[in-house]
Amino acid sequence: MMKLSCNAVDQIHGGAQCRFLGPHKTYCAAPRRKVSILPWGSGKKRRAEIVAVVSDRGAVPGRVEPMTLADRLRQGSLAEDGKSYRECFIVRSYEVGMNKTATVETIANLLQEVGCNHAQVVGFSTDGFATTTTMRKLHLIWVTARMHIEVYKYPAWSDVVEIETWCQGEGRIGTRRDWILKDYATGQVIGRATSKWVMMNQDTRRLQKVSDDVREEHLVFAPRELRLAFPESNNSSLKKIAKLEDPAEYTRLGLVPRRADLDMNQHVNNVTYIGWVLESMPQEVIDTHELQTITLDYRRECQQDDVVDSLTNVEHVKNAEANLDSRGANGSPAATENHDYRQFLHLLRISGDGSEINRGRTVWRKKPAR
Amino acid sequence: MATFSTLAYFPITIKVSRIRASYDPNKKSLNNIKINGTLTKSTAKLDMASTLTSISVTENGYISEQQVRQNIPTTKQFVDHYRQGMIIEGGVGYRQRVVIRSYEVGPDKTATLESILNLLQETALNHVWMSGLLSDGFGATHGMMKHDLIWVVSRMQVQVDHYPIWGEVLEIDTWVGASGKNGMRRDWLIRSEATGHVFARATSTWVMMNRKTRRLSKMPEDVRAEIAPWFIKKQAITEDIVEKIVKLNSQAKYMNNDLKPKRSDLDMNHHVNNVKYVRWMLETIPDKILEAHQLTSIILEYRRECGSSDIVQSLCQPDEDGILKDEVKQENDGSHINGFSLAAEILEGNGYLASFGKQPLRYTHLLQIDEESKNEEIVRGRTTWKKKSFSH
Repeated sequence: MMKLSCNAVDQIHGGAQCRFLGPHKTYCAAPRRKVSILPWGSGKKRRAEIVAVVSDRGAVPGRVEPMTLADRLRQGSLAEDGKSYRECFIVRSYEVGMNKTATVETIANLLQEVGCNHAQVVGFSTDGFATTTTMRKLHLIWVTARMHIEVYKYPAWSDVVEIETWCQGEGRIGTRRDWILKDYATGQVIGRATSKWVMMNQDTRRLQKVSDDVREEHLVFAPRELRLAFPESNNSSLKKIAKLEDPAEYTRLGLVPRRADLDMNQHVNNVTYIGWVLESMPQEVIDTHELQTITLDYRRECQQDDVVDSLTNVEHVKNAEANLDSRGANGSPAATENHDYRQFLHLLRISGDGSEINRGRTVWRKKPAR
Repeated sequence: MATFSTLAYFPITIKVSRIRASYDPNKKSLNNIKINGTLTKSTAKLDMASTLTSISVTENGYISEQQVRQNIPTTKQFVDHYRQGMIIEGGVGYRQRVVIRSYEVGPDKTATLESILNLLQETALNHVWMSGLLSDGFGATHGMMKHDLIWVVSRMQVQVDHYPIWGEVLEIDTWVGASGKNGMRRDWLIRSEATGHVFARATSTWVMMNRKTRRLSKMPEDVRAEIAPWFIKKQAITEDIVEKIVKLNSQAKYMNNDLKPKRSDLDMNHHVNNVKYVRWMLETIPDKILEAHQLTSIILEYRRECGSSDIVQSLCQPDEDGILKDEVKQENDGSHINGFSLAAEILEGNGYLASFGKQPLRYTHLLQIDEESKNEEIVRGRTTWKKKSFSH
């Protein structure tokens, strides 16, 4: 069945490209139309036509948003063995930030997008939760427990980035999703990421073990052998993050989630947390360094009415190993801090009662001289 | 010809970029846009190249490096596979296929206005890219670079009939036209690829400014020669009367003070991205209203830029349409019904808001920099909203 869907997707891609390069439809020939409200009817009808495709795959049509044309014309595709998914993105002009390169939020958004698209292509729910049939029956959802992103070279405007992603089991209670980012033009690896997800009951908000049914549904699409974006032992994606000690050296208090920070499931978007963590970073580091690594441990959700404080401390690294990764230029173990790399510990907490939302660690490398 | 001028200026601009580190070209107020008297009429010409980000443009030196790195084409392209774009309208317009991404969608499961504005900016820039005229990442043509000119947006108007959902495939058309003698207009149409229905339309007007003197400039003849061939008369939105946007004062009904740009709001030049202004403006409207309504139209008049260290104040005033303005306050208070019979609507479960009729809500907005001596206007806005139909 996997093979079939791969081929179908590929065929449609081929078709889509031919169609795109063909003669364009003359929509623009229409005269200035009166401003009119698109009746819901026409929209619904289009969606209804495509629901059938989704139900063939075993998804529950009622609970799942029907597949759109985008699915069939998607730029990404499953690998031949069906165990991973690859998609290309061009960096858009407005996704480029202060450093003239894609921001880490843009990268995080793209990771999320390709993760969602992967889930959609293999038939998981498209309501943003990527749940399997059994999970939906039991009111279970995935929640992010940890997110770890390393960027070695930030892409610039109009660069094309190829992102490959796959999913695997992680112990009894979780699953992991890994990504590799490459510069499409050169094939060079420009970043890696891994994330850990746990299953939670939507109603009770309690964590739950991954039952065998769910594991099987889920892992059909996982690589047979363990495949890690971070295969090296003792890599920083596994390190524990300590709780930052009060008083913090740098703070930004009173951050409030607004409607614009909410995602389609009315939760504060994961990527918003990254923005909040960076809010309390000292300006002199932001000016001279670029973010190489960010690790976030998600502890509790932030609701729309909460007020959040962002705290940052320098993390002093005692041993050389933590400060140097395989990409570091410095080969000799140093007991003191290397100013080409700076490391920080972060905490996001509710302003009122101080309960933790996220813990974080960031590693920054000196910007390349222009 | 284009190729030659690129090479000629390449070394010069790179050198300049090193010195230009602290150059802050966009601080000057745009109030002197009143060339011929009325504000809106005179400030329309948009530089093809400089789309919405032009206000924050001006990284001259970096552009040249970028030009080399990005392989910015110097001759007209007809199709771009990665952008999914192609030239249309007999060779002068541009159409791009866009799929709405998951993170562009908001809590009501439709694309946010910000995402739509971002896509307009993107397609505009891609249009210039395809034209072979692009000199920098913000839209200045080769001729403009020569004269140290940049495009600055002065007015933007967007009408949205239907917001697309995650995964929806759109076709965005964009083209340019003349606006007065020295400005440019850029229009867009956003359509569903599947049905051809128009989801949204937009128009914007741009003026040219000298980057160094910060004075508005006439269009030099060589720039006119570059871009005039791309002008067409077609318009996405026509208005008979250009509405004047009133300046609000501290009596405004809703106010947000102490707005500070977050790091993620800043663009390459440490200025607040134009689209972020809209976020601040809309945040000032109470969430209850935002949850129940969708924006059908927005008009923006840009005055001056906001920098990373500015503190901004956002003001918002609903139109005084009689009862309409009090509806939110009275939502939970059953005793002040003003004599209307609301029973039917309330029974339907739509609450008080539904009962106050079919008139759209309209707001006036103002963003200004909060300074002790005076408040400098950043942008004025006018928004129109209609009730959402709850289909989910």
